[in-house]
Amino acid sequence: MIKKIISYALCATTVLALVGCNDATKPLQQKTYPQYTDVIELGGATTTHETSNSGHGFSTPALNLTSSQLEQHLAGDADFELSFTSAPNVQHPDMDGLGPVFNNVNCNACHQRDGRPSTVVVAKGAAPVLLTHAAGIFLRISIEPSSQQCDKQTAENNYCAPIAVPGFSDQLFHRGVLQARHDWTSNPSIGQADVYLSYQYSDFTLEGGEIVTLKKPIFEVRNPYDAPNEVFNQGNNNSRLFQDDVKFGARNGMPVFGLGLLEAIAEQDILALADPDDSNKDGISGRANYVFDKIKAMANDPNPVSIGRFGWKANTPTVRQQSLGALRGDMGVTNPMFTQESVARTPLHDDYLARTNWQDTGSGSDGAPEASAQFSDDVTFYVETLAVPARRKIGDSEVRQGAWLFEQLNCTGCHTPSFTTPTNIKIGGLDAIAALEQQTIYPFTDMLLHDMGEGLADGRRDFLASGNEWKTRPLWGIGLTRTVNPGAGWLHDGRAATLEEAILWHGGEALASQQQYKELSKEDRAAVVSFLMSL
Amino acid sequence: MKQQIKISLLSVAVALGLAACGGSSNKTPEKVEPTTFDFAPSAMITNLSNDVIVAGYTILNDKAEALHQAAQTLVNTPTQANLVAAQEAWIAARAPWEQGESHIFGPIDAMGIDPALDSWPLATADLNVVLATPGLINATAVKAMNTDVQGYHTMEYLLFGDGLTDNEKDIAELTDAQSTYLLATAEIFKGYTQQLEDAWLVGIDGVTPYQESFKTANNAIYGSNLAVIEELITGMVGIINEVGTGKIADPFGADIGSIDTSKVESQYSWNSLEDFANNITGVLNVYNGEFTGEADQPGIYDFVAAGDKVLADRIKAEIVQSIADIKAIPGTTNLPFRQAIADADGRVRIQTAIDSLAKLEKSLEIDAVALLKKWSGK
Repeated sequence: MIKKIISYALCATTVLALVGCNDATKPLQQKTYPQYTDVIELGGATTTHETSNSGHGFSTPALNLTSSQLEQHLAGDADFELSFTSAPNVQHPDMDGLGPVFNNVNCNACHQRDGRPSTVVVAKGAAPVLLTHAAGIFLRISIEPSSQQCDKQTAENNYCAPIAVPGFSDQLFHRGVLQARHDWTSNPSIGQADVYLSYQYSDFTLEGGEIVTLKKPIFEVRNPYDAPNEVFNQGNNNSRLFQDDVKFGARNGMPVFGLGLLEAIAEQDILALADPDDSNKDGISGRANYVFDKIKAMANDPNPVSIGRFGWKANTPTVRQQSLGALRGDMGVTNPMFTQESVARTPLHDDYLARTNWQDTGSGSDGAPEASAQFSDDVTFYVETLAVPARRKIGDSEVRQGAWLFEQLNCTGCHTPSFTTPTNIKIGGLDAIAALEQQTIYPFTDMLLHDMGEGLADGRRDFLASGNEWKTRPLWGIGLTRTVNPGAGWLHDGRAATLEEAILWHGGEALASQQQYKELSKEDRAAVVSFLMSL
Repeated sequence: MKQQIKISLLSVAVALGLAACGGSSNKTPEKVEPTTFDFAPSAMITNLSNDVIVAGYTILNDKAEALHQAAQTLVNTPTQANLVAAQEAWIAARAPWEQGESHIFGPIDAMGIDPALDSWPLATADLNVVLATPGLINATAVKAMNTDVQGYHTMEYLLFGDGLTDNEKDIAELTDAQSTYLLATAEIFKGYTQQLEDAWLVGIDGVTPYQESFKTANNAIYGSNLAVIEELITGMVGIINEVGTGKIADPFGADIGSIDTSKVESQYSWNSLEDFANNITGVLNVYNGEFTGEADQPGIYDFVAAGDKVLADRIKAEIVQSIADIKAIPGTTNLPFRQAIADADGRVRIQTAIDSLAKLEKSLEIDAVALLKKWSGK
């Protein structure tokens, strides 16, 4: 399954490293290092070396683009940072269309420097903090009637898509344009509700007695537009948001490099790793999510369902659907793929249109969607073609030990090291560019869903993903996370401030690996983290 | 360019292979990259942190306080002289910010300070709605609003007017609502500049002071001093690229028929060229290791010179030339940038500045970055 090494330069490196280190005074170590141990170019020929030590490590175009592809990538780069304003903006009509409710104003705000956003800091003992422009996290919301299971996907059940909360959406928009709410003079720039964040702390003891303090985010929704000033379980629960059938799931922004390569992985290579009933009894199942495919739907495919690849629960099939869904959802900017606002036909939206006499929300003054086809294509291409950063500290003995342990602990049971992308593939419904084909890549993910235990569960179903399941995160570039954004945290809600904390949150199917990790010596634990930091 | 990248890619692979040996002296000599050089980075990094980056943020914070005071004076005593004084305080507060754009990394991004201070474009329609809603014109309410009605350009719009035909404003045009809103915005602004300085110097809410991570590499943010130097160089490249291919080129357009004055930075005050020149002066500060006129301190120049003295001097000359070319754009008729883009002779001078910036960018992006691979301390 794992293919042999990629380029001449890399072979030379590996040979040199091995030759140089087999010092005659030291006996050759008997253990067999995994094939990925000394691999540098995790993204094949797309890999960047030029910025792979510092804060632009996620922001470099794939090295193997043609000049016209580079031009489109750079146009998309500018679009990724463009801040939208409320409509109408007479002076900058191409930049308007924000909201009327949204989570942030440009892509970069939640994917800072193409990586993760800052985890909101709450000083110990301080009051909960309101999510504002500096937050790159939001809540997904849906209703799950207790009578309803969803395991057979049909047009009637919307292919098991989450069911929007009536009057809201499938995402809680905690910000708004100035006059989004009917009570805007007392709630200017507030969206559907306020969201506050605090943390719950717990201690975790490792082998040798070392104590790690873990923090878990607690989100609190207040002041929903359908019941202003109401707070959940403090007095009345009149808001539709506060009813028993409503599920909440926090979603942090995630890195956006290497995504075209992940979409290029052959579906059969992913399915070959799936073991939904754990037939090999290793405690790890691995299921594919199957999700609504907007591109198929637009082509009138009678069964618009595809394997899920992107999002924390693999709930979208393509970079294009993920990106343009975020453009419409997270920012409220309609586009050729999603032509209606997420909140269309909700009381908030109807009231906003009537009250501000702005009848054109959802389209520009030309009647077309707020973001043009060109904008949509360019910004999608940008995130399809961001380079994967090269590894660092290759050959370091601690890093090599960590690479060995990573396999011994069976982290590779879900974090599948490598794939080779095929030829003649489609990306986002279009022929993939050659730069993404036939690349041997090391993303360290199986692209599948796994039960990660109660500690991480959000209890919210998403297509075929249960409330306990999450998609295995790619680990490439993970060591640069805080170089790119020093305030960033890991996991779906940014709760882990260190990679060790992230490991310790692993439960469910990953519990055996986590337990073995915490029983390692301090040196070996440090080695595992050093290996991850080298990625 | 592409070929050069591939060459350096190969050299880094070879170099990394050798680094795998740690302290071993058992190297295969024919594989050794011959042109490595030594440079001790600590003094340079410490100096750039203390005397360029943090010193710049301290100046910014002081100028923000002066602007806040000027706004207060204007509210208390709305005279033409006090309006002009507030305009001057805005311009003075703009300079250290633009210079600091040569090192946009760390808390300025992580804490969301950049969008709070420098959001563009403005939502002028929203701003006018708020100005007509007296209950909202206070610092608490404004801070909770979107960043496109806060920060530099909001204050600029209030102080200078719409900038379409001139950059002057008569005190009679300044409404009470505008000056009160200006004061609220200046107060919020000063809060953010204080946070920025504190985040580097002392840390906020228990977060490690950023200067510690920066000066003491081998931590979760900077894995090595190589990472710090790469960060500094790519920071300089980033702003040179933005000035040359964005701030100047976007409004400039492909030809005189496709100019777009709505894309001009600081278009209300007509301070654009000062902004651009200050951006590149910020590059010079990091490169030299000191502000113009101060005693010589170690900067990126010293790193580059340790590897290639000729290149180091060439880059310094290219930075100075780029600043001069930006400052020459007004010409003998003293055209502001938004008029110069529509003037045939002005366009020639602008193209000269764009070309100088492109040359400088290439020298840093290709030649200086290549030195990182040759540095023995990486």
